[in-house]
Amino acid sequence: MLQLSHITKRFGQTLAVDDVSLSIAPGQIVGLVGENGAGKTTLMRIVAEELRADGGAITRPERIGMVHQHFAIVPEMTIAENLALIDRTAFRFLSLGSIERDAEATVQRSGIALGDVSRRAGELSVGEKSKLELIKAIAVDPTLLILDEPTSVLTPMESAELFGVIRDRTRRGTAVVFISHKVPEVLEIAQRVVVMQRGKIVADTPRAETTAETIADAMVTGARATSPAGSPARSTERSTPLLQVDSLALHRNEIVAIVGVAGNGQTDLIERLRATRRETRIGFIPEDRTRDAIVAEMSIAENLALGERRWSKRAGAARAKSLIDLYRIRATGPRQRAGDLSGGNQQKIVLARELDRRPEVIVAAEPTRGLDIEATRFVHEELRKAVAAGAGLLLITSDLDEAFALADVLHVIYRGKLSEPLTPATAAERAGRLMAGIS
Amino acid sequence: MTRLLIGIGAAALAIAVLAMAAALAGHSPADVVGVLFDGALGSPLAIRGTILKSIPLLLTGLCVVIAFRAGVWNIGAEGQFIVGAIAAWMGSPYGTIASMLAAAVAGAVWSSIATAMRLWRNAPEVLTTILLNFIAVHILGWVVNGPLRETSARYPQSDPAASALPQLAEIHAGSLISIATAIAAWWLLYRTTEGLRLRATGLNPSAARHAGINVPAQIARAMAISGAIAGVAGGVELLGVTHRLFERLAVGYGYSGIAVALLAGLHPLGSIASALFFGAFVTGAGELQRTSGISAAIATFGQAVVILAVVAAGALLTSRKPADA
Repeated sequence: MLQLSHITKRFGQTLAVDDVSLSIAPGQIVGLVGENGAGKTTLMRIVAEELRADGGAITRPERIGMVHQHFAIVPEMTIAENLALIDRTAFRFLSLGSIERDAEATVQRSGIALGDVSRRAGELSVGEKSKLELIKAIAVDPTLLILDEPTSVLTPMESAELFGVIRDRTRRGTAVVFISHKVPEVLEIAQRVVVMQRGKIVADTPRAETTAETIADAMVTGARATSPAGSPARSTERSTPLLQVDSLALHRNEIVAIVGVAGNGQTDLIERLRATRRETRIGFIPEDRTRDAIVAEMSIAENLALGERRWSKRAGAARAKSLIDLYRIRATGPRQRAGDLSGGNQQKIVLARELDRRPEVIVAAEPTRGLDIEATRFVHEELRKAVAAGAGLLLITSDLDEAFALADVLHVIYRGKLSEPLTPATAAERAGRLMAGIS
Repeated sequence: MTRLLIGIGAAALAIAVLAMAAALAGHSPADVVGVLFDGALGSPLAIRGTILKSIPLLLTGLCVVIAFRAGVWNIGAEGQFIVGAIAAWMGSPYGTIASMLAAAVAGAVWSSIATAMRLWRNAPEVLTTILLNFIAVHILGWVVNGPLRETSARYPQSDPAASALPQLAEIHAGSLISIATAIAAWWLLYRTTEGLRLRATGLNPSAARHAGINVPAQIARAMAISGAIAGVAGGVELLGVTHRLFERLAVGYGYSGIAVALLAGLHPLGSIASALFFGAFVTGAGELQRTSGISAAIATFGQAVVILAVVAAGALLTSRKPADA
């Protein structure tokens, strides 16, 4: 059905896809895994005809639906209007009623629950937006469905719902490519696992013949950095809190996690926190890197200098050089455009910029979303180091594993309300229920 | 580098389209381009004319560069130019420097009206700056017919300003002012914190805000600087060339500034070359009208071609940006 032979794609100096051949049969679920920048998305965008390959040949199935990691929704329009946009009829009169009836039918057919279709897409939670994207992709009844990191913003329950939808599609003969770097998830859903590394396919095995360890080994390059064991010792001294909002108090040398499903009031909370502490700068790592943290058209050096009180080009370049080394940012140099880097390396820029100022308070929202194992570990390590050096870290995350791995204290946020403080020891089962709104 | 190629390509395209239009109208394309060239650069007098036209164009171009770089669509250089000229006339009894300062302040105040409406009432500056142009034109019409009308009251124009810019080799000192402004704008944008923040605000306001930059204040300052430069352009034109205020003083310098800025790829130093090109184009077109009866409006046509070519090339380039893998 899908047949790729010797596909190659270059972006400037980088060989994003390097001589890849792959074929996928109808009804097959293929897990495509690899680190950030391994070329997974680029390869699939070539399949979806969004990018043109520099070399190689492709035989495509008739209809391809692709769900991107970044949303392609018009926020000012309603769900129904967004769904009407995919209609390829040349000309047709539309009434609000007919759009909404069609939309309801489309949602129904997809087997995904989404609720009232007259709501504005911009008001949906992140989880709901990703459901809308999935519905859009399924609506064309694709013979090949490509999902790029579809679970990164979903709750475990929503992920299960998604898997149900995927299995249902494959029963009708749709082939599915599931891009992810969450290995357990891929093992759960895929029948075949393809691993990419630096633009090449390095492993392609049936699910039954592989294990999580083999996949992880294939994904990570030989030069895996050794991480210091455990977190550094912290002082337990209780001073006056650096930050206090409702039942939440953040002290020096402490990590407080706020866990919750995206869209439960985290944004408001962040804005309130920023407002309470105008006088000192908070080290802030925003959730949406490309929108809120990186100026893609500017160089790495300039991005690192954003918000600096004093800056000169020469001192800025020298500082950028040392930060690139210190934070192991993979780049050609301080003058490279930040937008040309992979997500993990962009996040390292943000981290370097925000932590290098030694802020008293660090607010990190989903700091490892979309990052691979190595980059995630690096981010965690740097955050721990900053906390050991005296900062207080407020970690806002929808990843429970991340919260448990880092936090001293947890709060669950649900519909704008914070739960009582929990300790990791007591929180394990409670947190999952609170996130789903069961108390 | 790409911006330079686009600029040269657009300029060449403007001349080519002009020649083609001339051919369609029954003139020889080679003759037309020849007259255009001679009229702009063929004699010392022609060169002087080109430079005199380029001076206000460079300043209004820089006005647009600064605003666009901050992500603000200041289409109001024309109005800021006019209020700058009026303020320069009123300041001229106190000397050239005071007169120039008055022009800068007036331009800044005029553009800041649009900023205030944008920041407090969320009114799009594309509209407000254009509308402020019309208001400025009418204010100018009123002052030259009323309070500032010449003492003899013969024409709707003012008396000559009380001071003038010094002349250097038959060209007024505005040439130095405009080039110094271009260098200062380059230095501001690329060598200062202010410029770094201004560019970040223009490219990604959200990231700028989260990095601790006060975005509204940044926009306000960029617009004030932008307006001040256009005001100075008006002052320079008054004290260097026209000396009197009259209704058709600005003759579209403000709008042409947009073409200058776009052709320069929004680069301050590129604006020098770009302003000279348009200065030559306008001067050559004047000669064309005198010798072959082709309307000098052909220069406006050329500007439009340049703007379209640059915008189209920019759109083509951005649509091919690599995606993150």
